Amino acid sequence: MIEALVIAVPALPVACGLLVQLARTPAMADRINLAGALLTAVCAGLLAILALVDSSSPTQGAWYVVDGATGAFVGVVAGVGLLSALVSPGYLASADRSIFHAARARAWYYLGFDLFWAALLAIPLVNNLGVAWLLVEATTGASALLVAYSGRRSALEAGWKYLVLTTFGLTIALAGILVLYVGLAPHGGALGTLNWQAIARRAHSLPREDALLAFLLIVGGLATKIGWAPVHNWLPDAHSEAPPPVSALLSAALLPTVILVAWRVLVTLGPALRAGVGDATFIAFGLASLAIAVPFLWRPLPWKRLLAYSSLEHMGVLALGIGFASPLATAGVLLHLAGHALAKALGFYAAMPLLGHQPESAERPPRGIAKLSTGTAAAIGVSLGSLSGLPPSPLFFSELLILIGGIAAGHLVVALIAAALLGLGFLGLAHALIEGLLGGEPHRPWPRGRSVRVTERLATVIGLSLLVLAACAYLLPGSATVRMLMDGLT
Amino acid sequence: MSHGVLWVLALGALAVVVVRRRSIAIALVALQSLVLGIQAITQASGTSTALLVAGIVLLAKAIALPALLGLIVLRTREPGRMASERHPLARLTVALAIALAVVTLMPRFGLAHADVEDTAVGLVALGLAIAVVRRPAVFQACGFLVAENGLYLAALSVPRGFPVFIELGLVFDIVVVISVAGAFSARIHGEFGTGDTSLLGGLRD
Repeated sequence: MIEALVIAVPALPVACGLLVQLARTPAMADRINLAGALLTAVCAGLLAILALVDSSSPTQGAWYVVDGATGAFVGVVAGVGLLSALVSPGYLASADRSIFHAARARAWYYLGFDLFWAALLAIPLVNNLGVAWLLVEATTGASALLVAYSGRRSALEAGWKYLVLTTFGLTIALAGILVLYVGLAPHGGALGTLNWQAIARRAHSLPREDALLAFLLIVGGLATKIGWAPVHNWLPDAHSEAPPPVSALLSAALLPTVILVAWRVLVTLGPALRAGVGDATFIAFGLASLAIAVPFLWRPLPWKRLLAYSSLEHMGVLALGIGFASPLATAGVLLHLAGHALAKALGFYAAMPLLGHQPESAERPPRGIAKLSTGTAAAIGVSLGSLSGLPPSPLFFSELLILIGGIAAGHLVVALIAAALLGLGFLGLAHALIEGLLGGEPHRPWPRGRSVRVTERLATVIGLSLLVLAACAYLLPGSATVRMLMDGLT
Repeated sequence: MSHGVLWVLALGALAVVVVRRRSIAIALVALQSLVLGIQAITQASGTSTALLVAGIVLLAKAIALPALLGLIVLRTREPGRMASERHPLARLTVALAIALAVVTLMPRFGLAHADVEDTAVGLVALGLAIAVVRRPAVFQACGFLVAENGLYLAALSVPRGFPVFIELGLVFDIVVVISVAGAFSARIHGEFGTGDTSLLGGLRD
């Protein structure tokens, strides 16, 4: 059962993307993609549930692993992918230009979208660092053209920066994998040498200097793809220029998925390093990301750029939680992963009616949305309120868990600095929220068109889901999944 | 691996930093890939799987990708020398400084021959340097191929090589990434009338 699902989950979107190419009308393409997305999400959801329920006894195959981390990440990627697939027809109907020829633009969009989603779903499943790297690199190829989908000059710039910076970053990560491979198998190895369990088993035989070099190259290289400061330059541009459904996938699914690869590297290779070096590397990336992001959260930025810098902040929070490496912080990481994904995806979907009715919002911050469209205002309010960490947002509880976990792990100063930065970030986002909803001069309300109605419904569903997640804050600490993650990823 | 091969690889990368014409840079990268491909085939003789993989890598990197980039150059004629390009000597100085610094700072990581290790690290650094100091989009794609050739050189020095699955996956990824880079290069040229990436500077906060 599990093996069938492991194969089906990444294979279904690939098949769907190919099937869409046969569609004769835009409506047929939309229907095929929606059906494929629903089927994929059902299979992925089932796999995630099985993985989380059975997280105390993970399943492994020759090339895959299904553990608690797999369950959490596959569930999040599947959820965000489904939501993005649901809103894509609305985006495509309103897109007036594309980097592709008009007649094939929709088919290419869906092919890129589905291949990107398939790679994201496969990354948490694979049991091998080398294969995980190949899939991370594959996401670049699939998503770079999607970032530039609108074909505008700014989108071309964002897509090119994304392609070049992340490709070179991943080249450095591959150099690290090569160093690790040579160290683990000096007389020649096989693909299995880079299996997560094999790395964990043999890491202690590595010379400490080689282990450190491999670790720094791999994590430093992956950091460019995660968008951790100071190698985050592509992130604000790509997130702000990509179509909203793709921005949601980039921020809520891609960045955390690559974090999982870095996390598995930390857990498997970390014991070969001098004590605390691996954790300190994550903490350094986390603090740097928070410190770089927070000043931008205070600036009057266009909506999607504000969300992009918020992604930088939240990836920093995840890095801190992983670096603290305590049970409470780990519970916080899981909660933060899911809460950030839902809130951030909703924020990007809200950009569709916003940019549709107020195109100038691409250049400057939105103002007075509550007077123009209550549905869009609700989505913006739920999204930004949650992302700022306003209670009862799950991100409030997850950040609290991470900070307390940090203090429990003996990182009092780091936790205090992070708390101060998070407080400043909260104030910046709260200001943006108040101005965005209530500021500006009154204008004629927007018609309650399709994009507003869809956004309104998403705000309701995601708002309720965020409340359910907040309730999970009480369940996660001490759970089997957290224990499994603390004992070491499989 | 002979010193002659290592010198060809290193000088080829340095030449990409200096040359003006995109077609010559593509030819230099193709030559690098060809030399590495022949080396891989020589080492693989007697092992059918390794021979097949080496052949596929050679075909992709020494023939298919340079042909693709060459096609893009043909379709995107540049009106003249790019004003944003720095003097070749300045480019060479910066690239050499980056490469030498990286080679000096990088600790030994266990390859059998130190000169192969240094050349591999130097090629990766030069690939990054090419992306930094060259403005035309096609040169930045060439920089990626030079860096990847550095890693391929290191992988050839590993006993029994890198796992076949990863080598084939890597070739697939490179083909996809370079194809996407080619598509971008053509679109950038169509939009701006040149492939000068220094014009891509409008997004700032």
